[in-house]
Amino acid sequence: MVLKSLNTAALPGADTIFRKSYPNGSTFLAYPNPTSPAVYFRGYLPVGSISDPDGKNGLSSFLAAMLSTGTHQHEFNQLHTLIESCGASISISSGSLSTIFSGQCLKEDLPLILGLLLEMLSQPSFPQEHFARLQQQLATIFKIQSQDPQEMASQAFDRLYYRGHPYAHPEIGYPQTVSTINLEDLRAFHADFLGPKGLVIAVAGGMDVEKTADLFEQIFSNWDAPIQQIQADLPDWQPHREPIREHIAIPEKSQSDLIIGTSAPAGMSDEYQICALGNSILGQFGMMGRIGESVRERSGLAYFAGSTLEVGIGPSCWKVIAGVNPDNLEKALGKIREELKRFINELVTQAELSDVKQQALGQLPISLESNAGIVRFLLSLQRYELSLDYLRELPDILESVTAQDILTCAQKYWDLESLVITSAGRPL
Amino acid sequence: METTLARTGGYTNAFTSPDWTAYFQTLPSSALEIALLFEADRMANSLFDHLEVETERTVILSEREGNENEPQFLLGEAVQQAAFKQHPYRNEVLGSTQDLLSLTRDDLYGHYRNYYQPSNALLCLAGSFDIDEALSLINKHFEPIENSEPVRSIPIPENEITSAQRVELDGPGETDYIQIAWRSPKASDPDFFAYSLIESILSGPSTLNMFGSGGIGNRSSRLYRELVEKQVAASVYGSLSASIDPGIYTLYITCRGDHTPDEVIYRIDQVIDTFLNETPSIEEMIIALKQARANFAYGSDNITNQAFWLGYAQSFADYSWFTDYVNRLENVSREDIIRVARQYLDPAHRVTGIYRNRNGAANGS
Repeated sequence: MVLKSLNTAALPGADTIFRKSYPNGSTFLAYPNPTSPAVYFRGYLPVGSISDPDGKNGLSSFLAAMLSTGTHQHEFNQLHTLIESCGASISISSGSLSTIFSGQCLKEDLPLILGLLLEMLSQPSFPQEHFARLQQQLATIFKIQSQDPQEMASQAFDRLYYRGHPYAHPEIGYPQTVSTINLEDLRAFHADFLGPKGLVIAVAGGMDVEKTADLFEQIFSNWDAPIQQIQADLPDWQPHREPIREHIAIPEKSQSDLIIGTSAPAGMSDEYQICALGNSILGQFGMMGRIGESVRERSGLAYFAGSTLEVGIGPSCWKVIAGVNPDNLEKALGKIREELKRFINELVTQAELSDVKQQALGQLPISLESNAGIVRFLLSLQRYELSLDYLRELPDILESVTAQDILTCAQKYWDLESLVITSAGRPL
Repeated sequence: METTLARTGGYTNAFTSPDWTAYFQTLPSSALEIALLFEADRMANSLFDHLEVETERTVILSEREGNENEPQFLLGEAVQQAAFKQHPYRNEVLGSTQDLLSLTRDDLYGHYRNYYQPSNALLCLAGSFDIDEALSLINKHFEPIENSEPVRSIPIPENEITSAQRVELDGPGETDYIQIAWRSPKASDPDFFAYSLIESILSGPSTLNMFGSGGIGNRSSRLYRELVEKQVAASVYGSLSASIDPGIYTLYITCRGDHTPDEVIYRIDQVIDTFLNETPSIEEMIIALKQARANFAYGSDNITNQAFWLGYAQSFADYSWFTDYVNRLENVSREDIIRVARQYLDPAHRVTGIYRNRNGAANGS
């Protein structure tokens, strides 16, 4: 059995993960993968769309895009020729809480690429022509999004579910707010928020860890941003106590997208692990769990129908999602409600619980088979302040979860009388 | 099957290309026998229960409906049909709605019994296992399966798009899209490697890695610089497929609101024309090679991709196509690039597809 054969000592832990913090507030994590000729890196700066000023939604996201348009040392063409000439990539985007960067390169090019990354983050030149181009590209993206039922159902869900909270807004902003953003806004936001305090970068691949730590120190430890502000704490938020339903009409679409959501526990807490096992039973295990079995396998109502448990800082949600023929929307919703009712009224079976525990443990080594997988894990350790031995401790945490724990959590979070339900597609 | 595999922490899925159908499983090496047992069982003993066929029919129709929400899918299907007169590559892999509605259980079972034979199968393993033990397990599970040769019709390759064709669609939305397809050589053709470098220089290196190992940007490519940097289009990228028979190299362009599709096409023609008349610089060649080497390294990063590549290469050549890939690219000369580009990137032998949004004023059309 996989449960018994999992060698936890072989998983990354305190003795094999490199982590170092620096006086300027930055942190570097690394894990070697000696057989790889490449290096993958990913990291974040602690500023995201929750810091967008009123009426300027999308500012953080716009800034992230501008960081790739040129630096004081390299204008756009020079910058991207340097990056792409060595077959590397660097991308920067903004989430709600963080500005996220990632990329990969052959290991011999890491010094060049990390140097360029610092340039992009710390010394953008904000060229006017690229500002105008990005505004036009964003206008095109807004038009494309308005015709995408999945995107529209998701935006409507966030707007209704997180109402009164910054998470209610799409990170990219709105056409009317992005059109008010100017270069001065971008420069000011950059000066206020981007700096080394809270910077985290994780790397995995064929690089030498000690040498790469020296390289990181050499490149990033001198980054100084004395006026860097700390992002404000998230405001309080209370989940809904009444049902909400909204449909976004997009004519002539062949498929409608459906989201049904409720609140979720804090990311990576003990309760989160219980809900994660429950979620696997509800809408992931095998072919999308119980919901997939009911909506897809038995009823043939959808190509995809399953559930997701978001992991994040601050308020979070637990969702069921499905893509269905518009004529089957209500029927699929009915089937999903049946499964949710069962989920909050009956204990999951011991067989189901055993299945998802074994799956969760078996996934550990598989999730670490690529450099990107290792890096995602390293960043989770840092973001959720987990022990470096977290993976080695996880089997015991999972083993201790009972069917009653899952039922208790299901009843706590899935209040079927106050669900937020959004859909988008052909008019109802 | 899904449940037993999921218990190991592994995952499985299947996908169909124009040339082959693949089932894959990624799972802990200690559970290798589970994967082999299931694949042998799938090959020999699938039932095609009538009720399951009907359920799956609506699931696949639903998948198609999801794709039809995307203008690029609809345009791609039209361009694909125009690019091949009779070769099966003209058909969308998922099937048309009409076909999906009319296929019978017996059609499916007949296809299954004919093609799902050991002699028509290729098994690839990558990861941490003992080769002798793995071979022993393979023999144990696959040797008992009775084999018969599939009856197959061999399609006649279409070596060229015989004339310039234009397909136009209109539909909802506020954005126009363009796709332009030229014939590409079959993957086993030595010219395929020159074509890969042409793609890299023109539209950026596209990755053939199936299991997400990231890619390389295309902001330094000639078409990005002409179209996106000069604010003529919102985005451009290319795709070159490696296939058994000659396929297509396709450009995908998302238009902006202030330039018509024909203005964009005019600019593309200028870039192509220049390309056909000037040998690429040594620097461009070096960059394209480095990008290929990097993409190869990223693609070898995970074991699922490693197994995929062995099987994919074997489907149209042999696995040395994959292992020698970078070396073969290094042997391409600048003269090869010009020769191959002139042979294939001919405006008189391509398909131009345009999707016009019905709120046409927004795109100036």
